Amino acid sequence: MDSMVRNPDVKQRDAAQAVVVAVSSDAIFDPEVEQVHGATEPLRKGDAFSFMKAIQVVNERLLTLNSDETLLFDVILLSNDSEEKHSRIIASAKHYGLDIGRFCFCNKEDSIESLQSNEVKLFLSMDTNDVCKALQKGVPAALLYHQTDPNHQTEDQLKVVFSGDVIGSSEEMLHGLREQGFTETQLQGFKTAKGSVKEFAILMGEMRRRFGLEGSPLCTGLMTVWSSRDVCASALKTLRGWGLLVDEAFCLAGAPRSPILNLGFIGNTMKSSTYVKEGRDYSMYYGLEV
Amino acid sequence: MNLDPVQVMKGQSNPKDPTAAPVTASSNGDGKGAWEEKEEFDQGHLGLTTKPLLPKPENAVTIAVSSRVLFRTETEQKVYEQKGVEEYLRYQVEHENEPFAPGPAFSFVKALEAVNARLRELYPESEELFDIVLVTYNHAHVGVRLINTINHHNLFIERFCMTGGSSPIGYLKAWQTNLYLSADAEKVREALSEGIAAATMFMSNKLTEVSQTQLRVAFDGDAVLFSDESERIFKAQGLDGFFQHERDNEDILLDRGPLKDFLASLGKLQKKFYAKGHRLDCPIRTYLVTARSAASSGIRALKTLRAWGLETDEALFLAGAPKGPMLEKIRPHIYFDDQMFHVEGAAEMGTVAAHVPYGIAQKHPHKKSLNTGN
Repeated sequence: MDSMVRNPDVKQRDAAQAVVVAVSSDAIFDPEVEQVHGATEPLRKGDAFSFMKAIQVVNERLLTLNSDETLLFDVILLSNDSEEKHSRIIASAKHYGLDIGRFCFCNKEDSIESLQSNEVKLFLSMDTNDVCKALQKGVPAALLYHQTDPNHQTEDQLKVVFSGDVIGSSEEMLHGLREQGFTETQLQGFKTAKGSVKEFAILMGEMRRRFGLEGSPLCTGLMTVWSSRDVCASALKTLRGWGLLVDEAFCLAGAPRSPILNLGFIGNTMKSSTYVKEGRDYSMYYGLEV
Repeated sequence: MNLDPVQVMKGQSNPKDPTAAPVTASSNGDGKGAWEEKEEFDQGHLGLTTKPLLPKPENAVTIAVSSRVLFRTETEQKVYEQKGVEEYLRYQVEHENEPFAPGPAFSFVKALEAVNARLRELYPESEELFDIVLVTYNHAHVGVRLINTINHHNLFIERFCMTGGSSPIGYLKAWQTNLYLSADAEKVREALSEGIAAATMFMSNKLTEVSQTQLRVAFDGDAVLFSDESERIFKAQGLDGFFQHERDNEDILLDRGPLKDFLASLGKLQKKFYAKGHRLDCPIRTYLVTARSAASSGIRALKTLRAWGLETDEALFLAGAPKGPMLEKIRPHIYFDDQMFHVEGAAEMGTVAAHVPYGIAQKHPHKKSLNTGN
């Protein structure tokens, strides 16, 4: 059971045509450690804040090019907060002028269902478990991670970077993982991850094509973290087959990713999903690095 | 907060140990802790079976090359200049399965790989190797063609970034780049101003054969290994003034130049060969090729190097004589000079020369300078 509240300040998108993105409220607004009863001032900005602003810029540019554009980002704020915080969340969104179309308030257990019923194309959260659960149910999701310097993020360009390791993965590579001890369920999970990012990638490809090569508010990229360059090449071709020609490509081959992602000019970044196997954590980088 | 997954792994229990305590993903906000405990995958199963592991940037000598110096891309450049970026990218994709021909930095990169092979033989566990990364402003559309070309030439380049037009300086820094080679002087200048050793390379039609077994790197002295102090004196006070200044300051060290640290990193690798008894047949050889003269102004240069704990295998004091013939004898894989006059002179004789756009010589490129004097 969830309660959906439409934001009266924002023009509602046609959800069937739009790119519906659900963002956890804990990512947009800093989850406060102390609950101050009756507090009314706007919540502090969270780690996804500049990402929200960048989405707004893309939407504005799309509408400038075509005022009847329907391929826009449609943001749902997903909140598991207590009822007394609801109005404060709505008020904070208004205060910052955030382009949030709908607020979805529900219990944690019902989150996945809400995401599914709203046909969310991507779910973003800072909670590893939430992201994992969503992915396992086939909901495309990505983890937002702690940006070290929120002031260093650019707000005028949305950078969406896809994971080459999953997109470029092949049956052969998955077979290798089987030998590493991954179960069939988990391998199936990887395949699901690759499948669920496909739809989002197609949409990003379409959206990217609305803009020219230079000066686009939407910049797309590919990052391969630990696989070889051939996996990267395979990912580039796969994305191309899905209609997405990325602007940037990075192949790290195990080099630390964080210095690259933390650089201010790369803009907002989100982490990938984490696949947890007993005794080990494997980061399967699948989705969005924005 | 150190997010380096490999470093976080150190100190953890052996991930392959099935009895290790399970590491659970912690919730909300602290997710980054568990997330970062990424296991070192057995790279053999990830399509990297035949290739050795790659070093961490802080341990390796990272050499970043751009696509235009590693390969020949003149045809494509023309398409870009004459028909614009869309047509250029379309052309690249269309010719995706045609590998590029080797460019000016190619033989240098091959020589680096040969040194790596020797280092791996002697020190199989060490990460102190050359790490060659491709850093290009190119759009990722060219990515497949570049990867196909790397495969075709059997180069060991696993790391790259194609920035689609944005500045790669941040990535150069993130990867602790020890040397950046590009065809674009602007980008090289930008790198130098950020403290990264860098040089511009040009395609030459004449290329003499270079050694396949020994990496040879030659450096000019002033404004390359050392600061441009002497150039400044020469311009202000002429040749006599320069000589006097050098005599008066013989015991005062010269200041460092942009490639000093790169020479130091080469020296560090050389010592690894010496330690295993390969002094005479060391696969790395360095040269100082300077217009200073041995009897006078050269002394200060040598003293400075010595004080820095650095040395070059050979020091050639030309006392103003042209460098071309000497370089032709040495046959370095790359020669660094701050003056285009010398870079061009070297290229005419078939030496791969790289321009370091540093110091006062850049402001007066055509005027007579110290190195062209007598």
